[in-house]
Amino acid sequence: MIDSLSITRTLFEDFRPLAVTIFYAIGYGAIGIFLWGTWIQIRKYRYGTAYAVTGTLISRFKQMTGTMLTHRTLVRRDHAAGGAHALIFFGFALLFLGTSTITVEYDILKPLTGMRFWYGDFYLWFSLVLDVAGFMLGGGLVFMMWRRGWLKPPKLNYARPDRSPADPDYDRSGYRIEDWAFLWSLLIIAVTGFVLEGMRLVWLQGRPEVWDYRWWSPIGSAFAVAMRDLGLGAETAGTIRSGLWWFHGLIALAFIALIPFTKVKHIFTASASLMLRDPLAAQRLPRVPDSQESVGFSYITDLNWKQLLHLDACTKCGRCHEACPANATGAPLSPRDVILSLREFANKTLASGALPDQVELDIHGKSPGQVSMETLWSCRTCMACVEICPVAVEHIPIIVQMRRKLVEAGDMDPLLTKTLQTIAKTGNSFGESKRKRGSWTKALATPIKDARKEPVDYLWFVGDYASFDPRNQKVSQTFAGLLQEANVDFGLLYDSEQNAGNDVRRVGEEGLYDLLATANIEAMKNAQFKTIVTTDPHSFNTIRNEYGDFGGTFEIEHYTTLLRDLLTSGRLEVTRPLGYRVTFHDPCHLGRFNKGYDAPRDILKMIGCELIDMKRCRDNSFCCGAGGGRIWMPDPVGVEKPAQNRIREAAFIEGLEVYVVSCPKDLTMFEDATKTTGNEGRFVVRELIELVREAVASPVVLEAPVEQLA
Amino acid sequence: MATKILVAVKQVIALDEDFEIRADGKDVDADFFLRDLNEWDDFSLEEAVKIKEAGGEVEVVVVTVGPEEADESLRKCLAKGADRAVRIWDESMEGSDSQAIARVLAAAIKHEKPDLVFAGVQSSDHSFASTGIAVAGLLGWPHAAVVNQFDFSLGATQATIRRELEGGVLQMMNIDLPAVLSIQLGINTPRYASLRTIKQAAAKPIETLGLGDLSLNAAEVGEVGSASRVRRMYIPEKGRAQMIEGSLAEQAAKLAAIIKEFKGATV
Ligand code: SF4
Ligand code: SF4
Repeated sequence: MIDSLSITRTLFEDFRPLAVTIFYAIGYGAIGIFLWGTWIQIRKYRYGTAYAVTGTLISRFKQMTGTMLTHRTLVRRDHAAGGAHALIFFGFALLFLGTSTITVEYDILKPLTGMRFWYGDFYLWFSLVLDVAGFMLGGGLVFMMWRRGWLKPPKLNYARPDRSPADPDYDRSGYRIEDWAFLWSLLIIAVTGFVLEGMRLVWLQGRPEVWDYRWWSPIGSAFAVAMRDLGLGAETAGTIRSGLWWFHGLIALAFIALIPFTKVKHIFTASASLMLRDPLAAQRLPRVPDSQESVGFSYITDLNWKQLLHLDACTKCGRCHEACPANATGAPLSPRDVILSLREFANKTLASGALPDQVELDIHGKSPGQVSMETLWSCRTCMACVEICPVAVEHIPIIVQMRRKLVEAGDMDPLLTKTLQTIAKTGNSFGESKRKRGSWTKALATPIKDARKEPVDYLWFVGDYASFDPRNQKVSQTFAGLLQEANVDFGLLYDSEQNAGNDVRRVGEEGLYDLLATANIEAMKNAQFKTIVTTDPHSFNTIRNEYGDFGGTFEIEHYTTLLRDLLTSGRLEVTRPLGYRVTFHDPCHLGRFNKGYDAPRDILKMIGCELIDMKRCRDNSFCCGAGGGRIWMPDPVGVEKPAQNRIREAAFIEGLEVYVVSCPKDLTMFEDATKTTGNEGRFVVRELIELVREAVASPVVLEAPVEQLA
Repeated sequence: MATKILVAVKQVIALDEDFEIRADGKDVDADFFLRDLNEWDDFSLEEAVKIKEAGGEVEVVVVTVGPEEADESLRKCLAKGADRAVRIWDESMEGSDSQAIARVLAAAIKHEKPDLVFAGVQSSDHSFASTGIAVAGLLGWPHAAVVNQFDFSLGATQATIRRELEGGVLQMMNIDLPAVLSIQLGINTPRYASLRTIKQAAAKPIETLGLGDLSLNAAEVGEVGSASRVRRMYIPEKGRAQMIEGSLAEQAAKLAAIIKEFKGATV
């Protein structure tokens, strides 16, 4: 019977004491370098401005661990890469835990108490688990190499849309070298580990407590058996083993030492980033404190420490790059590159103990590491980037803060300047008189209540487009008719309503936003109502998520949930199921921003439409291009616009009859894009409200049915 | 010594689509007024601020003649980079025409002693296009109107300007300083004053001057001091337009009927 205590691995077997000492010295050296590098990174983050973390660390930690263990954010839209990452992650984690376990026994428990546990059954299971872990790690790495080397997904191409090939920071070949060095070094560590294991078995084949239990290390022993059969002797194996041992050990230690200086640091930065995640990063932009003199981000040190950390968390996975509508339509913007540019900038300027001159900290411009205003103005604040980023990088607040600085300096498109002035003067982007805000109601048979004068259940916040744009006025009239038929008690603020400010804020004109929000909040407070309803997702977002910071906390719903309730409760009755084949475009501000994916789809079902979703739907919906104030800026001519790109996607749906939208700006953007892409006559663009109107019997038919219009 | 540039500005009235004429028929009902800084003044102020930003010791002073509401426009000027703002007003100035306003401005210029005076070519509401020139006349200074390019180095006794003439002809000229220049749209790109800077400018003082401060008397301003008086303000009758619809034959018949009606024929 073999004593279970002898079933173990003797550490440093056959090593001279000096060798062990040298190894420990190198080990401590590696840890020292690691700690020093970590300090440099922390010192870099400390140059950022203050940021107060909300909520408890425990809950944040739990949520981060949940995300990490499930790999929830990593498998999205790329199962293969997510799966391979899981193999590497869990393989690496197990191997790390394994090594730590040995350290606990060998360096702590045994010297202090004489206690041991790393032998016998525990040791055998340990060997098995770590062999599997090593295999997972290797498998994941090989897949990633295949992906980078052969599959070459476009999102991993680091060439930038905001630089030209002649620019020094165009393709960042340094990153590619680092990627490959990372994969190879880990793979070499894994493979040499297995070879080492095999060599030890061959070397110690004479010991039954080793050889008889070899299959608990299946890969190592398969290798050992093969080598022995090929004629490898115990002694040679022993020699190879000592050489390889150093090789393996030194690479592993170098790997650890270099963590803070290489992409490997994402192990820590990504975890921290996930822990600091702000679930409303795009929905609720930061206020400018009254005490603050300057506005927006001019210098790298204007970013807060959390944002500096986010920069380091980016793994260049390219998901945001792929999802970005600006990048997809050739604009000089990739959210990934904004983050990487700023990261490179921070690494260059904040690496030492002293700050350089302020001019060298300016992040605006076209030099390496800087972000140009063309890039910043290309953003549609559609949230596709923030939403998909697996490591919780929050691009939009950084982009908007940088825009605030541009607005302050007046560096923007003349048309945008005009629009902002118009809004400041008239309270709406159409430059119409305030008095005319309610003019669209004049066409209605029954007037709408004035919520300023009498209490109502629902306060309808109409918004600019639904108030002034002629096509959308029709939709507003239709919606009013539906509410009246359903006996909903509702009213308007009439000329006390102003532009809600969502897009003004995303443009970066915070002062004007403040003015608009405060005026609207005051008007709302002077009215008596239970809930706000709106047909405009942009207004919906800012009232729901941002007015609170300005003293206006209201209950608000988007019209889709209200209509769904009215249909479910029978207050509106479907008498003419439509039977159309439709597709639905999720508006950014309703879908991604506020997770209102289901209500419109439920309604489409209730009114008897056959919904065929586009490939990019729900959280992956593709922005129409109007967000972030882009609707007030001209798009470059001769280039595909995001709305056209989207309509072409819809056109692939066979037999599509109606392209359904539920946002006033979408109606404008997509009706236009249907014409300019030559799809007019093939299908029509309709507001969901109009389809509901068609399906719900009414004494007067206001709109011609879809067939007649197509 | 610092170079002082005085920019004369005006808060103009913009109108909504539907507005009403005041009961006395001499002006639009004040209920319908939308006030804003005159568009031309955006450009003349920008030109002055640009000179200041080019370096050297330059002080930009904006001056307006108007009641308290005009402070809002002055604040916008302060937000855009003016150093000081002066508002001149007295009840008696109500009803002043461009001559009377020029008299007040000329007095203010004597008071401020600037090296250069900018005005807009015209105001978008009253469109006299003569205030700037009248100021120069009263001061006996050289003047140039419709300036669309301005070159000048600090301390120089002359400036080179370019003016727009009829038929797209441009004129380059040298002008002795101090002078009064009326600035044309498009000479530069006026900057955007963010709401935040406008709000911050609210904290800056606006100096107010009255008749006495400028040694003027009530007879020199207002309707009495003016060379012209408003008799009536009205909206002319609109011509009629009508879309003739229907088939070709129907359209022809309708058209014939209309012609007959106008001719008064009885055939
Ligand atoms: S918000 Fe949208 S447009 Fe802006 S960078 Fe992100 S994905 Fe691109
Ligand atoms: S920012 Fe996020 S999504 Fe974009 S490349 Fe970096 S890690 Fe990927």
